[in-house]
Amino acid sequence: MKKVLSPMRIGWSLALVLAIVLPLVVGEYMTSILLLIAIWSIVAVSLNLLYGYTGQLSLGHSAFFGIGAYALGLIAVKLHIGFWPAFFAATAITGLFGFLVGIPALKLRGPYFVLVTLGFAAIVGVILLAWVDFTGGANGLAGMPRPNPLPLPSGGSLRFDSLLSMYYFVLFFLVAISLICHRLVHSLIGQTFIAISHDENLAEALGINTMRQKLISFTISALFSGMAGALYASYNVVISPDLAHFARGMDVLACLIVGGAGTMAGPVIGTFVMMAIPEALQIVPSLKTFINGVILLLFIVFLPAGITGGFKALFSKRDIQG
Amino acid sequence: MALLEVSSLSKLFGGLMAVSSLSFSVEQGQLVSIIGPNGAGKTTLFNLLTGVYKPTSGRVLFEGKDITGCKPFQSARIGIGRTFQRTMVFARETVLDNVMIGQALHVKNGVWGAIARSAAARREEIKVREKARSLLDFVGLAHTEERQAGTLTEEAQKRLSIAMVLAADPKLLLLDEPTGGVNLEEIGGLIELVQKIRQSGITVCLIEHKMRMVMSMSDHIIVLNYGTNIAEGTPAEVAGNSEVIKAYLGARRVA
Amino acid sequence: MLLASGLTIIFGILNVPNFAQGHLYMVAAYLGFYMVMSYAVNYWLALVLATFALGILGVVVYFLVFYPIRNAPEVNLFVGAMALLMILEGGALYLFGTETKWFLIPWTRGVLSFGGLSLQVQRLIVIAGTVVVMTALWLFIKKTSLGAALEATAQHREGALLCGIKVSRISAMAFVVGTALAGFAGVLIGPAVLLMPTMGMGPLLVAFSAIIFGGLGSIAGAMLGAVLLGVIESLASGYISATYSLTFVFGIMIVTLLFRPKGLLGKEVWRP
Repeated sequence: MKKVLSPMRIGWSLALVLAIVLPLVVGEYMTSILLLIAIWSIVAVSLNLLYGYTGQLSLGHSAFFGIGAYALGLIAVKLHIGFWPAFFAATAITGLFGFLVGIPALKLRGPYFVLVTLGFAAIVGVILLAWVDFTGGANGLAGMPRPNPLPLPSGGSLRFDSLLSMYYFVLFFLVAISLICHRLVHSLIGQTFIAISHDENLAEALGINTMRQKLISFTISALFSGMAGALYASYNVVISPDLAHFARGMDVLACLIVGGAGTMAGPVIGTFVMMAIPEALQIVPSLKTFINGVILLLFIVFLPAGITGGFKALFSKRDIQG
Repeated sequence: MALLEVSSLSKLFGGLMAVSSLSFSVEQGQLVSIIGPNGAGKTTLFNLLTGVYKPTSGRVLFEGKDITGCKPFQSARIGIGRTFQRTMVFARETVLDNVMIGQALHVKNGVWGAIARSAAARREEIKVREKARSLLDFVGLAHTEERQAGTLTEEAQKRLSIAMVLAADPKLLLLDEPTGGVNLEEIGGLIELVQKIRQSGITVCLIEHKMRMVMSMSDHIIVLNYGTNIAEGTPAEVAGNSEVIKAYLGARRVA
Repeated sequence: MLLASGLTIIFGILNVPNFAQGHLYMVAAYLGFYMVMSYAVNYWLALVLATFALGILGVVVYFLVFYPIRNAPEVNLFVGAMALLMILEGGALYLFGTETKWFLIPWTRGVLSFGGLSLQVQRLIVIAGTVVVMTALWLFIKKTSLGAALEATAQHREGALLCGIKVSRISAMAFVVGTALAGFAGVLIGPAVLLMPTMGMGPLLVAFSAIIFGGLGSIAGAMLGAVLLGVIESLASGYISATYSLTFVFGIMIVTLLFRPKGLLGKEVWRP
C-alpha cells in the first residue's frame, strides 16, 4: 500500500484551489479549454484504472465516450426525458456496454486484447456514422440539455446555463471520480488489480479470479468514460460521430502515458500538458495527432513512466513502481 | 479418504506424452516427495493438479471431489497452494503487499465497500495486514516488510513465495523445488520451514532433487520417469529399488 | 473481396504486435500513388520500389522504435506501435488532406467478364498477387530453416532462444519482411480502393479477425481464416450492407472468442 505522502496532499489541495480559482481570473475562452481538459481528464482517469492499475491497454475508450454522449442525446432529446435521469441512464448504459464488451475481450491477452478494443472503437465509429435514422449520421445530434436547475437548501436554485457553472459541474465530477478511483486503488480490491497488472499468471495461481477482477475494472472504466461523454454532450449541446473516433482514444492514452500511468496525478497532469500546450502554441489541429504521436514515442522510449515517473525518480531514492 | 487422489492422469503435448497414466494418492498430513530425472514430468504434474494444463485423460480428486481440469484460481480456492520452480513474487511490490495479495481470494468486501471505505472494509484490511505480518514472521521474514520484493535474496524470495501461498490457508501445499538455486547454508533453514509447515497440519507435496533432504523428510516418495511412476514407497523401499537406480544412472533424457 | 485475405496473410503470420502495419500499408499506397500519378513511374516498377522502400522504412522503424524498448514490458511495445500509428496517420492527414484520392492506372477501369461474372482487372491482379505471396510465404516458412526459425520464434520465444535461434535477429527480420509485404500490398491493392489516410485500419482489423477466427498460433489457420473471412466479407457486402461488412466480420471474431477461443485450427499456445 502506498502511503499518501504529505507533499502529495499539499500538491492536490493546491491543484484543487487553482482549478477552482483559475476560471474566475482568465477569460471565457481559457475557461472553455479548461473545461475540455477536465472532461478528457475524466476519461484519462478512467483509462488509468484499467491500464495504469490493472495493466490492460484499451484503445477503445473513445467508443465509451461516444456511447455516453449519444445515449444522453438520444434519451434526452428523442425520449424527452429530463437531464438527470437521462444522465444516469446514459452512464449506466455505457457501463453495460463495457461489461458486455469486456466479457469476450478480456479473454484475450496482450496484443489481441488491444486490437479487439481498437476494433470495437472502429465499429462504434462506423455505426454512429452510418445509422443515420438513429444517430443523425455525420450531422450528429443537437439540442443536448443542460442539467436542470438543482434546488438549493437556502432557497433559489443552482443553474447551469453559464460556462462557469458547467465548468464547476464538470470539475465536481472530475474530483468525485478521482476520489472513487483513489479509494478503489488503495483498497484490497485495488491490490488485486495491481497484482494482475504486474503478473497475471501469478495472480491467478494465488487464487484471484483474474477474469472477474479485470471485468470489474473494465466496466467501471467504461462507465466513467461514458459519464465524461455525457458531460461533454451536455456542455457542447451538439455532438457528432467523430467524438468516438478511435484517434481520440489514442490521444487520451497518450495523455495518460505522458502524464504517468499508474499514478493518481498522472492522467490529469498529462491531459493538461498535452491539451493546454498546443493551445498556447496555437498549433494547427491537423498536426495534433502527428505531434501527439511523436511526443508519445519520445516518452515511451526514454521516459515510459511519464512526467510523474520522472519527478519521482528525481526526488526519491527508493524504488517506486513506474 | 485420501486428500489427493490421481488416477490414470495423462497429458499429451503434440507428439510428446509428458505424463502417462499416472496414478497415486496422498493422505492427509503426509509429506510426500516426488523425485525423478529431469524431464520426468514432475512440474507438468503440478501444472495438471492446479489447472494450468488440462489433462488429456484421467482424473484428479481432492477431498473426494473431482477437480479435473478446473482453472488455476479455482484450485487455489479449493485448498491447493503451489509454488513455482522459477520463484514468482511481485517484484515491484513490497514484501508485505505480496503476502496481502496472497489472501485476496478470501477477501469478502467488494467494490462498494472499497469506494465507501466502509467500516467492514477497513476492518478487513487491518485483519489482512495483521495476518500478513504473522505469516512473514512464520517464514522468518519479519524484518523485511517494507522492502521491495525484488530486492530480496533468492532464498528470501522463496520464503516469501511460500508465505504468499500459505496466506490462502491451503490444505495441500505443492512446493516445486523449494531449495532450487539456494546456497548450501541456507537449505537447512528452508528444510526447517517445510517441517514447520507440515507440523501446522498442512499436507505437503514436494518436488526435489536433493536426495538426502528427500530421504530424511519424507513419509512417502513417488519416483517419476517418462511421465509415469516407476516406484513408490517409504524412503527405505525406494532407495533400494533397482528401477529407481536405473532411472537415475541410465540413459539421460534431454530436459 | 479477397483483398482482405491478402492482407491477412501479410500481416498476421509474423506475430509481431505492430498495429501500425495497417498504416504502413497506407503509406505504401500513397507512395505508389505519387510515383505513378505524379512521376509517371511504371506500375510494376512502382510495386517493386514500394516493397523495398517499405522494407527500408521497416528497418528504420524497428531500430528507432522497437529495438530500444524490446526489453520493456510488453505493453510498452504496443504503445510504441500506437505512437507510430499516430505519427503515420497524423502525417498522412497533414500531407495528403482528407479528400480521397483515386489511384489510376491504365487498366483500373477495365473489367473482364466471363460467364456473366464481371471482375475489375485490378482485383484479379490483387488475387493473383495474393496467391503468389501466400504460396511463397508458405513455402518459405515450411521448407526453409529460416522459415522454421521464424515459426518457432512466433510460437514460443523462450523455447526458440534455448534452441540457439537468434531471436532478436529473427524478430527484426520478421518485422522488416512484414513491412515490405505491407508495401507490396499497398501498391497492389491501392488502385482497387480509395486512398485515404485511414485506409489501413479496416484491413488491419479484418486481418486480425482472421487470425483469431483461424486460430492463434497456426499459420495454416491464419491463411484459412483469411480466405474464409474474405469470402464472408464480400458476401456480407453484397447481401447485407457494404457499410456494415466490417462490423459483421468483427462480430464473427467476437463469437469465435466467446465460443471457441482457439479458433478453427488453433493450437494451445504455450504461455510461460
